[in-house]
Amino acid sequence: MKEEHKHGKASKFGMVIDLDKCTGCGSCMVACMSENNVPFKKDETNKLDSITWLRIYKLTNGKKFPETDICYIPRPCMQCEGDHGHSPCVSVCPATATDYNHETGIVSQIYTRCFGCRYCMAACPYHARYFNWWDPVWPDGMEKYLSPNVSPRMRGVVEKCSFCFHRYQLAKNKAYAQGRRELKEDEYQTACTQACPAGAITFGDLNNSHHAVYKLVKPDNKHGGRPRNPNAFRLLERLGTNPKVYYLSSREWVRRAGDNYIKDEVKKEHH
Amino acid sequence: MKVCRRSFLSLVIGGAAGTTLSPLPWKLMDDSSIWTQMWPWTPVPEDGEVSYVNTVCSLCPGGCGLTVRKINERAIKIEGMKAYPVNDGGVCLLGLSGLQLLYGPTRVKTPLKRVGARGEGRWEKISWEDAISEVVKKLADLRAKGLSHTVGCISDSDRGTVAHLLGRFLTVYGSPNFIRTPSMQDSYEQTMHLMHGVQASAGFDVENADFILSFGSGLIDGWGSPVRMFKVNSALKGKGKLVQVEPRLSNTAAKSDKWIPIKPGTEAALALGLAHVIIKESLYNRDFVNNYSFGFNDWTDDRGRSHKGFKKLVLDEYGPDDVAEITGISDSTIIALARSFARASKPLAVCGRGQGNTPGGLSEFMAVHALNALVGNINKKGGVWAVPDPDYIRWPEVEMDINAAKGMQANRIDGAGGKTYPDSRYLLNRFPEAVNSGKEYPMKALFVVGANPVYTIPDSKAVKEAFDKIPFVVSFSSYMDETAANADLILPNHVFLERYEDVPMPAGLQKPIVGFSKPVVKPQFNTRHVGDVIIQIAKSFGGVIADAFPWDNYEACLQKTLGNKWNALNKEGFWLDSNFMAKGWKRAFSTPSGKFEFFSRAFAAKNENLFQQFRPVEPEGDEGRFPLILIPYDYMRLASGCIGDPPFAIKTVEDTVLKGDDILVEVNPKSGRGFREGDQAILSTPKGAVKVRVHLFDGIMPGLVAMPRGLGHTAYDEYLADKGINFNELIGPVEDPASGLDAAWGIRAKLTRA
Amino acid sequence: MDSALIPEGVKRCSFGKFILWIIIVGAVLLWGVVAMLLCWFKGLNQTNMNDAYGFAMWIWADLAVIALGGGAFFTGLLRYVIGKDELKNIINYAVLIGFICYSSALLILAIDIGQPLRGWFIFWHANVHSMLTEVAFCLSCYFAVLTIEYIPLILENRQIDKVPFFHNLSHNMHGIMVIFAATGAFLSFFHQGSLGGTPAVLYGRPFAFREGVLIWPWTFFLFTWSAAACGPCFTILVTWITEKITRKKLVRQNVIMLLAKIAGWMLATYTVAKIIDTWYWATVTAPASGFNFMDFYSNNPLYGPWILVLEIVVCGVIPSLILITKTGRKSSFLLISAVLLAVLGACVNRWVMVLQVMAVPVLTFESWFMYFPSWQEIATTILPVAYGIILIMISYRYLPIFPQEQELEEEKNASIFV
Repeated sequence: MKEEHKHGKASKFGMVIDLDKCTGCGSCMVACMSENNVPFKKDETNKLDSITWLRIYKLTNGKKFPETDICYIPRPCMQCEGDHGHSPCVSVCPATATDYNHETGIVSQIYTRCFGCRYCMAACPYHARYFNWWDPVWPDGMEKYLSPNVSPRMRGVVEKCSFCFHRYQLAKNKAYAQGRRELKEDEYQTACTQACPAGAITFGDLNNSHHAVYKLVKPDNKHGGRPRNPNAFRLLERLGTNPKVYYLSSREWVRRAGDNYIKDEVKKEHH
Repeated sequence: MKVCRRSFLSLVIGGAAGTTLSPLPWKLMDDSSIWTQMWPWTPVPEDGEVSYVNTVCSLCPGGCGLTVRKINERAIKIEGMKAYPVNDGGVCLLGLSGLQLLYGPTRVKTPLKRVGARGEGRWEKISWEDAISEVVKKLADLRAKGLSHTVGCISDSDRGTVAHLLGRFLTVYGSPNFIRTPSMQDSYEQTMHLMHGVQASAGFDVENADFILSFGSGLIDGWGSPVRMFKVNSALKGKGKLVQVEPRLSNTAAKSDKWIPIKPGTEAALALGLAHVIIKESLYNRDFVNNYSFGFNDWTDDRGRSHKGFKKLVLDEYGPDDVAEITGISDSTIIALARSFARASKPLAVCGRGQGNTPGGLSEFMAVHALNALVGNINKKGGVWAVPDPDYIRWPEVEMDINAAKGMQANRIDGAGGKTYPDSRYLLNRFPEAVNSGKEYPMKALFVVGANPVYTIPDSKAVKEAFDKIPFVVSFSSYMDETAANADLILPNHVFLERYEDVPMPAGLQKPIVGFSKPVVKPQFNTRHVGDVIIQIAKSFGGVIADAFPWDNYEACLQKTLGNKWNALNKEGFWLDSNFMAKGWKRAFSTPSGKFEFFSRAFAAKNENLFQQFRPVEPEGDEGRFPLILIPYDYMRLASGCIGDPPFAIKTVEDTVLKGDDILVEVNPKSGRGFREGDQAILSTPKGAVKVRVHLFDGIMPGLVAMPRGLGHTAYDEYLADKGINFNELIGPVEDPASGLDAAWGIRAKLTRA
Repeated sequence: MDSALIPEGVKRCSFGKFILWIIIVGAVLLWGVVAMLLCWFKGLNQTNMNDAYGFAMWIWADLAVIALGGGAFFTGLLRYVIGKDELKNIINYAVLIGFICYSSALLILAIDIGQPLRGWFIFWHANVHSMLTEVAFCLSCYFAVLTIEYIPLILENRQIDKVPFFHNLSHNMHGIMVIFAATGAFLSFFHQGSLGGTPAVLYGRPFAFREGVLIWPWTFFLFTWSAAACGPCFTILVTWITEKITRKKLVRQNVIMLLAKIAGWMLATYTVAKIIDTWYWATVTAPASGFNFMDFYSNNPLYGPWILVLEIVVCGVIPSLILITKTGRKSSFLLISAVLLAVLGACVNRWVMVLQVMAVPVLTFESWFMYFPSWQEIATTILPVAYGIILIMISYRYLPIFPQEQELEEEKNASIFV
């Protein structure tokens, strides 16, 4: 790993979700669950104990009929960069079970090391982290579809979206076998990106100006990756978590819903 | 030996100290943590060789291409097939959950014969041979008694080899009662039949349209081929406009450029109002209207009776003021909409509510289609195309014996193609009533293939009653669905990931395409391909029936049928007639006039009052007793067809739709006064009363209650069963006077405190 | 029956009565143990915690008992390091209470974590940047110190003391207690502070987040400070309760007064600091993240401005004023009310810094998360209380906890005879 650091430039994988295109259909959620061996229970209607690495929130503009509007916001793990990798969750984990990978910018989670203190969950303002309150149980026979690339988690540990890190590893292995060090843009894509029927999700390296994600949001990497595209925003930008998930929306109320503002405060658009 | 206290204490303390200093506790601590890291009850998926198999999904009429990732013999992940013409890599959540259907607990694992009472759930496992001979015995018996016409078959499709095998069997056996499950396809086919004079599906060149006007179609809520529609919607951003006319802020409405709320059921009036403005302001396509259409101006029929033309009708009766009154949309909005529609370079009007699971009123379809005709986008780029069925099933004509011929002469039980509804092909909505009243003849046996009518057909109670009246029901379902649970015999089919099958014509596509399902994994259980079973049943009869099925098995039949396409299909996964072009206007119409008919001459010949085509459909129920109107809504996360939501899909359903086992109905805070969010309530309609919870939602028109389709299953597994309410329990069919199809779009309702 | 074990010169209730009470409290303890076993064997689905409420009652209980256990380190510091000699008469009890608090905290933590068998990973795979790591290390070290401080007390039991080895050991341990007291104070400063840092470093949670100096947010110091203020108050309170139950004077009033005075000044200064902290947070820190002060105290069924008034005014300003004035301290009623309020104040503060932090919505499209503990959580939180009572009962009965008990008793008897 260290070796690599010297050779190639570090990547910063990020995601751009076009909320104008997102239909809230739920494909990304299921693609994620099926890619990552996410378990399910008989009743999943209590969304506060339902493991969905990627959850779609439904927003409304709060206006009365017929001025009402809704918008869906898919929320994977934001893979916060914070201040130089000091993401809200990584720094609080007492057992180094979650880590910020400077080579990819991805926040990892080591299930076998996590002992379930849930401090990281308290730290995450996005509720992107999920605890295994129960033992995962698959109905008889259904464990046949489990993927060997992602180990099923045991009860009592925290799990979250990994930007399908195993796909990165597989792509990297393949590239190495072919004598390449750099990955092509389409070689590493997350399951949700790939499945999205609306093509609303774009995934790539925010450090690479040739990648679509870069072109879409024009991140200001000197300032924590702040988007320069006026239609782009990140959730809770003001907290300084510096997420690597960006949203695009042509609707002002949606962009404003991404952050908190004190009374009468006018949102400053970055240009 | 006497143990004094001192030596005892020393022993204890020394022992404790010794143990602590020994490796034992540390080893135990380490071992126990390692144990927690690999608890034997947490599965460890086996690794192995990775491979990919392409196939085509048949869980809905969308027909998407899938690529399935496998580890050794296990299918582990479904993904969208890249470059597949329908979905190009995208895939919906139902398709993505397909492996849960394949490996799930809801599979019927072997042929089952009912032991207890109907629907009691007590079954006996029987062999395939016994199961088939039981069917053959029953059918032979009926045939011998001259009751072959009392055998019916309900199927989700009438296309492709499996449906053709079923139809062929019924024909040669001697029954006219092959019934396809209803959908908007029925209404569109009939629209094509009456206005174009052709037997064709409606294909929509949505990719090339720049102004889509949708009359309540859930374009991104599962209408047509869902993934394709998502892609179209995304591509439209910035390039074209989507206007959604609908009483409820559906996802489609929310994503559209303009949402126009409309009083439900008045869509046809709006279409005619738009036509009024377009005609009045001379915004219509002169070339098409003047040269290729009939019935635009006043006309006289063969018997010399004069009829008002379309022009006069809409000019007289559908002025913006009148339409504003009917629809609740302001006249200025109507005028502006008509202008922007007509002035767009490729305008396209579509209908079929929600996912198009119900046919709807024919008048509405014809009115909307008339709009397309006015702007001349029939069989044109960006318009509506009449797409004939792919013509690849060319089997020799069946030879019918006397029994068959006699049976085939009987009237269809559902009345389709009969005196009242000569232009309709299938009317499953009339089936329960026909069976229950016994007016025509009693049904003696029923096959159900790829369909779940006990769940999907309106007025569940009547449907159930009809099923109870039929003494022999055979389900070919792969899953223990509601129909299978109420059958006498289940002959489980392979699921789509285990079988070969041609999947022709994804819904709404403008080009003929045949998808190809092929086995991704070996059959997991003792199931059999329904095609094989039909061939085996036929062969057991011998004689002309057996002769009609000259193939050894289904695979041989499919290979023979597809001929030189077989290899291409196996390799590419689909066959697309890329040379297909919709017929030019000169040759497109096979109506009596040879032109596009605003008013069908054929139709007029049989119906005194032509204008009933455009009469709005009233919802069932008394306004005084039921002040609200209940409408259904569809959305992607709930599969409302014959397949129920697998666990992954149901997991994505929001808690404003389902909470615990309670369904939430949407009500505008204005109509839901006295109810707080999540309150329990009784929702009653003339068909029944159920317990629901209230979700206050500003995006629904006051006066309405909206309920999602796809919940309220009683069968399937514990992840789906008994969650919420089946909308079909609360609504009954409303027969469209013109087509006999189910035109119901809602029903009067009442919401009271629980 | 057990008279041979009871310290010389003091009177204790009958063994039967003692056992009866042990059984009664033991029943409560058992209830807690059942809940604890349920949590261990069935998992944390036994609680009402959820993915939005990952930190809940247990973490509050932890923070609260550690704050209240702060009496041990602070009294030790005053007694051994600063040299307030009178406090030797209450230090034993302070140590015992501290021992109970800290052992309870460790037990609750062992229930609270999802994988108790891997709990030691916190030491093995320690992340030095995590406040919890610091807490874990200092907490266990300080617990060891408390154990060492408690052991000489056990060794002073009449029978054990008879063994020359234990007698000498006890004597020698007393001799070096100043080292442990200093170590304890040092460790406590850090883990109390780290506990204060635990919510304050959550920069994703504007309600909890505080700025600070170097790596320490302001609450780091506030928590230590409040533990030093409220810990002794808790010691005074428990001593008073013990005196009421035993119907005996166990510690001379001048000792109590001294401790109360020191605690009072600590509390007063703490309250001033807390007010400044709150003010700065409400006007500078929170608005910078886009939050109005009232966003944290409205639109929910429980948390209103009242909780701030309760914590700072009712449980801060008022007891401070009582404890720093002589008249206030002299009135037994006011004194006990004041220490009670101070103890409550520490509990409210810890509650706010744990449970309200979780309750406040941060994403604009989420709403308040409300939570009520399950019976298993309640039972396991009461478990340490029952355990503490039992340990106090046993210790009081068999160990010379209160050095002044015998002379106070004699004085009382003498006064009766006069």
